[in-house]
Amino acid sequence: MAFNQNKANAGAGAVKRVQVWFGLLVLIVGIFGVRLFYVQVIRYDHFKQAALHNQLKQKQIPASRGIIEAYDGNSVVPIVLNQTLYTIFADPVDMKTYHTDPQKVAAAAASVLGGKYSDYEQAVTAQHTRYSILAKKVSKAQRDKLMGYKFAGLYSEAQDYRIYPQGDLAAQTLGFVNANGQGEYGVEQAMNKQLAGQPGELKAITDLNGVPLAASSGNVQRPPVAGDTVTLTLDIGMQAQMQKILKDEYKKTESQGLSAVILDANSGQIKAMASYPSYNPANYGNTGNPKYFENGAVTDAIEPGSTMKLLTTAAAIDQGVIGPNTTFYDPAHWIVDGFNITDIEEDGGARVQSIKSLLNLSLNTGATWELMQMGGGKIDAKARDAWHDYMVNHFLLGHPTNIAQGYESAGYVPGPEQNGAGINLTYANTSFGQGVLVTPLQMAAADASILNGGTYYQPHVVAKITHADGSSQTIKPKVLVQHTVSAKTSSDMPGLMEYVVQGHLDSGYEYLRFSSKYSVGGKTGTAQIAKPGGGYYADKFNGTYAGFVGGDHPQYVIVVYNIQPGVGGYAGSNGGQPVFADLAHMLIDGGYVMPKSQ
Amino acid sequence: MNRSRFAGRNQNAVSFRVTERRLGPISNTIVLIVLACLLGLLYLTQVTKTNAYGYQINSLQQQANTLQQQHSDLEVASARLQSMSRTQASTVAKNMVAVSPNATVQQ
Repeated sequence: MAFNQNKANAGAGAVKRVQVWFGLLVLIVGIFGVRLFYVQVIRYDHFKQAALHNQLKQKQIPASRGIIEAYDGNSVVPIVLNQTLYTIFADPVDMKTYHTDPQKVAAAAASVLGGKYSDYEQAVTAQHTRYSILAKKVSKAQRDKLMGYKFAGLYSEAQDYRIYPQGDLAAQTLGFVNANGQGEYGVEQAMNKQLAGQPGELKAITDLNGVPLAASSGNVQRPPVAGDTVTLTLDIGMQAQMQKILKDEYKKTESQGLSAVILDANSGQIKAMASYPSYNPANYGNTGNPKYFENGAVTDAIEPGSTMKLLTTAAAIDQGVIGPNTTFYDPAHWIVDGFNITDIEEDGGARVQSIKSLLNLSLNTGATWELMQMGGGKIDAKARDAWHDYMVNHFLLGHPTNIAQGYESAGYVPGPEQNGAGINLTYANTSFGQGVLVTPLQMAAADASILNGGTYYQPHVVAKITHADGSSQTIKPKVLVQHTVSAKTSSDMPGLMEYVVQGHLDSGYEYLRFSSKYSVGGKTGTAQIAKPGGGYYADKFNGTYAGFVGGDHPQYVIVVYNIQPGVGGYAGSNGGQPVFADLAHMLIDGGYVMPKSQ
Repeated sequence: MNRSRFAGRNQNAVSFRVTERRLGPISNTIVLIVLACLLGLLYLTQVTKTNAYGYQINSLQQQANTLQQQHSDLEVASARLQSMSRTQASTVAKNMVAVSPNATVQQ
């Protein structure tokens, strides 16, 4: 009985102990539960942010900038590419801390990177800095070799660069990419959005090594979309030769600046376009004068001078007020709004002239007379309105061409309204290219239209855009004005322009001799330069030239602006014309021009 | 066959009551804890396994980036080798002579 009693007591004690332990366990679990509730529910936001701060990796993945290509004959070659290069830098404080021998670092750098040992030694021992650059734009192979030495305190950082395998080819047309990744000037500026692409995004919980945890459902990884590949209409052979010609003529003509454009007369495609002096886009930071970044063919709107007479003549013929074989009596001067408009003495004074001689002798009075014919014999509102309509609505002067180039100038055409300040004189001036501002490209596009049958094609430098997904968009010629002049008027213009070239050849400009298999025509322009306060300089002129090269039909239009050539004689004949001749010979000798069929 | 049939005389059955075996509260708790631990272990195993793929993905991405960079470098090298300035400076180009026609053929 006692035994049973003891057994019962022992059992009750065990149960009690278990109950105590169980109670303890429940208490501990309860404490954990309360703590978990506090941490995971009440302080949820706080601890989530704290955890994410350590674990969440969030960064923008830069998109690869689109490359730029151009034509080499019928094939396409890259002229702007991207490459990852490295900046090698030292942290002199770290080097000291880790007892890195600066002499060994300098010797290794000189051996791997080239350059002077002393320069590297100076960089690695620099005082008061923790970022001393040893070299920039270092290739991956060089970087790997140098970093292979494992010098403590020597670091490298990757950076994407634009690479120009053709050197300074088409530098101003291309533009460059600044340190912030923004396109500046040229195509890089005008098409920055398309070239830049869309950056990707990485937002992921990572482990200690920074590797995203694949099991995390909140990870966001949006890959970047590379920028578009832009294929330009430029022909690199033509472009390179144009640049060489401009460089040579810049010296020969003692120029202050030269710009030229070669335009396909029958499509508006720009085949070559350059200015001199130029710059190296791979090293744009060292360019002395920001003016060298500008593509003068689209940025420089100047008074074009007598090259404008081609448009005045075409407009007058198109209105039917004169014909290509019309003759007229030229009094050698006109009084307009009290001012005397005269020709140069060599033109021979008052006498009967023809439209051909008007262009060949470049008669200001002749161009004024053409304007008068638009008004029925005098410069009045009718004449001004008619000429203004041709300038602005037919030849699209005063409007930007919207070519894919930065800083394009719209030029300027004065309104035809009576303004009480000698508007008739202003308009007489515009008939021979003064008082109106035109870029070389505007002039080339307008001249192309009066030579190709009357179609104004929008001048363009982009031939094709290829997207990252492989789809592409070919830029077709866009007609902006169907009939700037009639086909009949257009058919009269090449002959008139060829007459001018022949006339100048006969005057002794032997460089204007071309093979009879080709047709070459043009017009000089010697433009007075406006003073800032009004009036014109008596001794400063710009030389311009507008011409064409072709076979049976005009194929290329060439426009040249030579800013203040110092060479003697008329700026148009001695500053613009030789550049045109060089370019025309280049096109013919290079086999770019289709000869006459017979 | 019901239970009263065995409850007659000379039947030595001690008891015919069916005892239900029940787990006590402690056992229940322990079993639940063990089950929760097993589930947790299973979850951790799977998560660790999935996260291990992250390393593979990362490694493959690095390989892709390296190959892409090599491709870019080769493109640049190719473009440079074919550039006009290099062609002009080549030995072949230097040995070329300018030819200008010195006679004409009349037919």
